[in-house]
Amino acid sequence: MTASSPGIARSRRQHPDGSRRLRFPSIPERVRYGLIGFVVVLPLWEAVVQFRLVKRVTLSSPSLILEAAWEDLLVNGTLWPHLFQSSQQFVLGLGLALITGVPLGLALGLFRRLNYFLDPWLSAIYATPTIALVPLIVLVLGLGLESKIFIVWLEAIFVIVVTTMVGVRAAEARYLDLAMSFRASRWLTFTSVILPSSFPYILTALRLGTTRALVGVVVAEFFAANKGLGFFINFSGTTLRTDRVMLGVIILGLLGVVMGEGIRRIERRFEKWRPDFN
Amino acid sequence: MSVAIQSQPLRPQKSRFGRLLDNERLLYGAAGVIVFLALWEFGSRSEFIDRSFFGRPTGIIEAGIAEVQTERFWGDLFASFSEFAIGYLLAIVLGIPIGLAAGRFRRLQFALDPWLNFFNSLPRIALLPVLVIMFGVFGPGSKIAVVFLGAFFSIVIPTMQGVRTTDRRYLDVARSFNASEWLLFRSVVIPSTVPFIITGLRLGIARALIGVVTAELYTQTEGIGVLIRRATELRQGDRALFGVLLFTISGIIGVEAIRRVEARFQKWRPQTSLERR
Amino acid sequence: MQQGLALQARDVRMEYVDQQSGDRLLAVDRVDLDIEEGQFVSIVGPSGCGKSTFLKIVNGLFPATEGTIEIATPAEGSAHAMVFQDSSLFPWYTIIDNVAYGLVCQGVPKKEAQARAQPLIDLVSLSGFERKFPYQLSGGMQQRANLARALTVDPEILLMDEPFAALDAQTRELMQAELLRIWNEAHKTVLFITHQIDEAIYLSDRVLVMSARPGRILADIAIDLPRPRQLEIKRTPAFITYADQIWGMISSELKPHIHDVAKTTGTVA
Repeated sequence: MTASSPGIARSRRQHPDGSRRLRFPSIPERVRYGLIGFVVVLPLWEAVVQFRLVKRVTLSSPSLILEAAWEDLLVNGTLWPHLFQSSQQFVLGLGLALITGVPLGLALGLFRRLNYFLDPWLSAIYATPTIALVPLIVLVLGLGLESKIFIVWLEAIFVIVVTTMVGVRAAEARYLDLAMSFRASRWLTFTSVILPSSFPYILTALRLGTTRALVGVVVAEFFAANKGLGFFINFSGTTLRTDRVMLGVIILGLLGVVMGEGIRRIERRFEKWRPDFN
Repeated sequence: MSVAIQSQPLRPQKSRFGRLLDNERLLYGAAGVIVFLALWEFGSRSEFIDRSFFGRPTGIIEAGIAEVQTERFWGDLFASFSEFAIGYLLAIVLGIPIGLAAGRFRRLQFALDPWLNFFNSLPRIALLPVLVIMFGVFGPGSKIAVVFLGAFFSIVIPTMQGVRTTDRRYLDVARSFNASEWLLFRSVVIPSTVPFIITGLRLGIARALIGVVTAELYTQTEGIGVLIRRATELRQGDRALFGVLLFTISGIIGVEAIRRVEARFQKWRPQTSLERR
Repeated sequence: MQQGLALQARDVRMEYVDQQSGDRLLAVDRVDLDIEEGQFVSIVGPSGCGKSTFLKIVNGLFPATEGTIEIATPAEGSAHAMVFQDSSLFPWYTIIDNVAYGLVCQGVPKKEAQARAQPLIDLVSLSGFERKFPYQLSGGMQQRANLARALTVDPEILLMDEPFAALDAQTRELMQAELLRIWNEAHKTVLFITHQIDEAIYLSDRVLVMSARPGRILADIAIDLPRPRQLEIKRTPAFITYADQIWGMISSELKPHIHDVAKTTGTVA
């Protein structure tokens, strides 16, 4: 065997017995098995509907959904105004929830007494499914943009406040002790210890808030709208266009996954700031 | 030049009542509740707040008393409760084993991951049209399905995570004593997954309740959700909020019940000292 | 307070209320202590005896229930600075920002604080690591940064709470030697807490032996070994004599408590 100089990586894969074989590029196991689901389910689904085992109207089928996608996204583009409307409500509602929620969460984490004062009500509202309030909200605020933004805001704000508050409380005692032993002012303690160590939690709050805001948008559109992705899904359901319903659901789910994953990536970059990181 | 550090003697122990008053959490909490209720009550009585929308604390109690005396209410309550219970139990019965299996068998997890992620971030209300086509508008089918879906994913995912994050050290110890895979699972993995399962159960309750309301508001056939909708349409703010209150109370009871279950399973955990500031 | 003294403690007692039983317990019982400027003094004692509590009282983290402590305040610089057992460097700041932190707390502008921190970073042999983050440094290096941070505020007295306890044995030895080198150059008064007898004798001019809880000073032993001290001195007869003497005192404190180990949870010390 030739002695290779240390540090030079072998550029060709060699089988242990010395021969060289053709290797497929290794696809990570995670992706391989992840695809199994689709490879199995999709054909099965198609088959079940094609052979009339399940009615077309009940589940639709992959081919029909693709057709609908082709039509509504590319050919007549009927889906785009709906998507645009929904994203408007989403961004406005979520943005508002962040702007009001993060400072409130910080305040509740910092000022114990304020926390005690508001806690019973926050807990009560947090325990209530916000959707139960939707009929009342629609009654009060009508069917316009305001009621929808309010619903999105309401859905997102609680999880943002609670998560941010937990982040403040999680500031480790040892860092606070340290700041105190150097006689740091309250403001400096806030900017140098509490804010940085709550930042990862604020990112988590953003991620959770995004999920809830998405729910808020759909709920609002189901009950109080004539445009938007939620409306599209609902209306298609009422008109028994299951293919469109599925299309809408898939787009909705993908949006949720993509946004969640995106924020999770950002969260990971700041993992090291977390107080419990070791 | 020198600086002197003074000492501060301990304050004498107070009487029981004294310590109760000292309990700021209780004091401020009670104050918060009373202040808000008072504002609400007087705001409504003085016509500042519209009663048909917002109701009034005393009004809600009155509406509640009137409501429980009707037969329809109990029918609705039973409907909502059974939808919740069946869906939730189904989610537990299916969710925990699947979560454990997926945690144990990495490849199963890889296969399930895309679906779990997808359904977990999907607002389940979007599935109602499909579920209604499948199970029909009347009857509990679609509602149980929504409740189930909501709770199922909340339970499976944490359970799975719990299995995956079992502390290696404990596994190594068990293996070094030649424990069988099954014994390993029973004696190490499952106990250390319990906290995660409990978290899943807690999340599941919230999601299940949301499922009940959502399905009922959508299908409008029976249940407390329908009570809320009807009352709103009739401008009976008190009655509507009574309905909402029922859900709030259910949520609180549910979470408390889980806490009790958690306490029983976690007797081996040392008491951690919470907030000392 | 007398001239030449850095710290004078009289009659310091610390009482606290046990959360579970509601009883009043004593953590520290009548400590009298004089430390001269430039002295290196260690307190050794069994775990939980109250030595850390005493240090925290001197640092002002909480007040004692009785007694007085006087610390000389220099014209410039702080009265004291503490080096914690766990480096507690902020993970979100670079090393230089961490080391300069003490000055920033005092209102010094950031640039100036960093400039003043630099020589101390060099002193503790961390030159070149200014822009790194704590997670990129080893345990020993983090503790050196911790030390640099305390030195940057130019304290009259340096309080060290088992700073090397979290390090492995070899790093610990090296750090002890490093600490003496730095102390030689910086001329600080040091009050050092440890439960390792060797460490106390090696580093100090005086070793105070504290009893088990409630902590009282059992003995005040002057260490008459020549300076500068190399690590090899730990194996000389004179050193071993001191070690035996102190160990004798501590082990008689420890014996009754062998079965109490499990109960030391949530103690103030």
